[in-house]
Amino acid sequence: MGVFKRYLVAGALALAAVGLAGQASAQQRVEVQFWHAMGGVLGERVAEIVKRFNASQSKYTVVETNKGNYDEVINGVIAAYRAKKHPQLVQIYERGFMTMLLSGAIVPVQDLLTEKKKAIDWADLVKPVASYYQYKGKLMSMPFNSSTPILWFNKEHFEKAGFSGPADTWQEFEQQLYTIRTKGISECGSALANDYFWSLIENYSIINDQPFGTKANGYDGLDTEFVYNKTKVVGQVTRLKKWVDDGVMQIAGQGLNPEQLFTSGKCSTFFASTAAHGSVEREAKIKWSATFMPHEQGIAAHNSTIGGATIWTLKGHKSEEYDGVAEFLSFVASPDLQVWWHKVTGYVPITNKAYQVAKAEGYYKDNPTREIAILQLNRGTQTENTRGFHFGNFTQTTFALREELESVFAKKKTPQQALDDSVRRGNDILRQFEKLNAGKY
Amino acid sequence: MVERARTLDIACHALLILGGLLVCLPIYFAFVVGSHTVSDVLTIPPPWLPGRHFFDNTVTAWQKGNLGRLFLNSLIVAVGITVGKIAVSLLSAFAIAYFRFPWRMTAFWLIFASLMLPVEVRILPTYEAVANVALPLQWLLDALDVGRWFGVEITLDWNMMNSYGGLILPLIASATATFLFRQFFLTVPDELCEAARIDGASPMRFFWSVLLPLSRANMVALGIILFLYGWNQYLWPLLFTTDKSMATAVIGLKNLIPQSDSEPAWNIAMNAALLVMLPPVIVVMALQRWLVKGLVDSGK
Amino acid sequence: MVGLKRAHYRETRLPMLLLLPQLLVLLLFFFIPAVRALSQAFVITDAFGTSVQFVWFDNFHRLFLSPEYRSAAWITLWFTLVQNILTIVVAGALAFATDRVIRLRGLYRSIVLLPYAIAPVIAGILWAFLFNPSVGPVAHVLKAVGIAWDPNRSGFDAFLLVTLAASWKHICYDYIFLVAALLAVPPSLLEAAAVDGAGPWLRFRRIALPMIGPTVFFLVTMNFVYGFFETFAIIDAVTHGGPGGATMILVYKVYLDGFVHIDLGSSAAQSVLLMIFAIGLTLLQFRYADRRINYDV
Repeated sequence: MGVFKRYLVAGALALAAVGLAGQASAQQRVEVQFWHAMGGVLGERVAEIVKRFNASQSKYTVVETNKGNYDEVINGVIAAYRAKKHPQLVQIYERGFMTMLLSGAIVPVQDLLTEKKKAIDWADLVKPVASYYQYKGKLMSMPFNSSTPILWFNKEHFEKAGFSGPADTWQEFEQQLYTIRTKGISECGSALANDYFWSLIENYSIINDQPFGTKANGYDGLDTEFVYNKTKVVGQVTRLKKWVDDGVMQIAGQGLNPEQLFTSGKCSTFFASTAAHGSVEREAKIKWSATFMPHEQGIAAHNSTIGGATIWTLKGHKSEEYDGVAEFLSFVASPDLQVWWHKVTGYVPITNKAYQVAKAEGYYKDNPTREIAILQLNRGTQTENTRGFHFGNFTQTTFALREELESVFAKKKTPQQALDDSVRRGNDILRQFEKLNAGKY
Repeated sequence: MVERARTLDIACHALLILGGLLVCLPIYFAFVVGSHTVSDVLTIPPPWLPGRHFFDNTVTAWQKGNLGRLFLNSLIVAVGITVGKIAVSLLSAFAIAYFRFPWRMTAFWLIFASLMLPVEVRILPTYEAVANVALPLQWLLDALDVGRWFGVEITLDWNMMNSYGGLILPLIASATATFLFRQFFLTVPDELCEAARIDGASPMRFFWSVLLPLSRANMVALGIILFLYGWNQYLWPLLFTTDKSMATAVIGLKNLIPQSDSEPAWNIAMNAALLVMLPPVIVVMALQRWLVKGLVDSGK
Repeated sequence: MVGLKRAHYRETRLPMLLLLPQLLVLLLFFFIPAVRALSQAFVITDAFGTSVQFVWFDNFHRLFLSPEYRSAAWITLWFTLVQNILTIVVAGALAFATDRVIRLRGLYRSIVLLPYAIAPVIAGILWAFLFNPSVGPVAHVLKAVGIAWDPNRSGFDAFLLVTLAASWKHICYDYIFLVAALLAVPPSLLEAAAVDGAGPWLRFRRIALPMIGPTVFFLVTMNFVYGFFETFAIIDAVTHGGPGGATMILVYKVYLDGFVHIDLGSSAAQSVLLMIFAIGLTLLQFRYADRRINYDV
């Protein structure tokens, strides 16, 4: 008994110590915890934002902590919430939107900032960004780092093959890649990025105005069902499989960075996030450029959709801490900060104002590829297929999709079989989510 | 042997040499790669002979992986598990072998039943248990509605995540070790206990001055196995340390393996792999005889 | 009373106190979690734990209907089976050879023992590197002789890779036991057989093999336990269960569904099924252990 008792006492003492520490700092500045998933250079940028914010005023201290990658952050925050040790702010990827929205654990950001009387021009947000994170017309979380895929290419390879640049449609683009290969200009036409399910499948579906699921991709109800096994996505997967089989597209695999396949000049093109600007500029040993994502012949190109993450506010904290939260979030949304963030990271500015500022400065004259993302996001008129994705348990359904696509590349399944299986698995997961959250959406 | 059969002997040697090569091959290549620069590693064909950058890579791996801190963690955890397990099992085995009391068989079967619940099958609830060890007590309080008696809400909270306690304590129960010591106690001559009693020694006195010294060999043998077990833990520290500075060396190593979106720094990863396996390898090489004894005994 | 010393004490408080640490740890970290797993298997709950629904056997039902779960079960079966056979055959051959040779025996034994010190995850990393299609020396040789090899793309290659790594790590364990068992075969028996004209192979088959039979049985069970549970680290470090679920063993799926996808109900149901399986294995193991205990006492 002695041992156990001693531990209990020790535990109680430790708790008491934590409580005291909390009080001590509360007398000076209110502390706001912010968990994020930005490592490496991006992590340093986040630290800089926080440092600037803390220096800009004297009432609040934001403490930023990198809790690993996106998956680790959402899992970490869930565990912390269950143990009642969660932060006020957490950065969650776009895939976690529905999970967070219906969790019962969050404070909608627009409500909070309105309540705290922070003037934010919500209508000025870039459309696909706003539409992704809105629910019933209100923004649920604060957009932070938003990106979209663009097509990176090796200028010299295209010139040698006699092209001025990548073609607009998939059909012509495919021919270009095969020409480059048959002429022996490069070892491989394109490197398959790790988030290809996002750039080459989901965004393909959106850009070509294909429904990914029923009910406007989940916007109109939890009873949404995936339908991408009946759309042009099947053709896209068939095309990708053909490329991989013919060696036109290379899967990098473990321990090899697909981006390096592109920046080293081995592969001629690369479909990846605009946020890769930072590393491509640093690493590239080639003359590179970028352009819009291709679209299907005979279909007008629509907007692409975003990736990245937003900052969510969690329930269960003190009012003065939420004052700090509101202060920090409006700091993040300010045009100055957005312009700076856009420039140093390659993420898109989240407000049109920030975009105009950068444009007026002549930033895009020197850096034309930096403008592609925002132009692409604003391309065409939004339809119910192109607003974004509101699927529950979206990480889990995406995992099923990825696993099935791997079976296609492994020649275990045909594209149709794999997509049928993926849709079946995905719908099963959606039904679970619907059952659990019935009446909440 | 009984007769000489030259061909068979040669075949046996050949087999053993082949086996030895198979064992050493991956380790040899870890050494080769660990001694080259990244660009050398990426050349085709890959290098077959060691390069000259082994110590540079060691320094890089050590800093990049924060291995100094993680080695200390691993050492504390491995020693903690070893000592804890041996102590707890010795006491249990002594109780079961030397005392007649009600519930004796129940205790025996409870310990035995734990064999059926490897950590892998109770991952999630164990996670909850570590996140708040006082949870069961809380349920008890809630069920009895103790809070209302005092008019306050009582919340018990004892989080063992990211602590040495959390990494060690849940792992120190051991049916195998308990059975091993019990087994051994059963072979100790009864006369020793009787003599101790005649001398007026208390049970604990007998335990300390007679049983413990006799068990030394078993403790060393088991200690080696448990040290390796503790050092090589994977799933447990993976789940219960979210703070990177509380991870163990093995987890630190895992984070150095090149993933598909990072630099292919295999040289650093393999160098670190050699470093992390070094302490247990030394233990195995130096204390081989004990290890074999311990394994064979605990398998009984 | 079973397993009680003839010379024993009659006391109640002291032994209870002695048992307390072990039982407390077991209660907190074994029994209560196991019961919790059992109860969670019958509900579905959202990630944040804000809504919980009791669903009876729905989670189990979903598992049995799921081709992915069945596939994981098959993969686990094949994986453990191949790993088991490979391990015990290689270990047996090496042990037999060790038993015969006189010179260098100690050295051979030390080398074969080496992987015992190496964590499964490190074994996984070592092999993942050897067979890495872009930097691995073995993969390079395979490519040179015209074998297309890519464990990132081909499920079969990935399966082979983790099986090899898992076996490599575990051969030493079986080897130690088999060497010890062969040593325990009385030389007088072998000599008598040799005098009667039995060759080495016949002697091994007729005398040594039956005597080491129980050890082999024990090792086969232990290999299953190892393959089922302890290879988690290899999968996590090398393949993450991929590509296309080709190396998705049951234990990894529990972790993935529970910890990464936060589908707690399904994960708990899978845990319960694994628990039932583990109980079966333990009882099997105990049959062997029981016999040994009776011999020894």
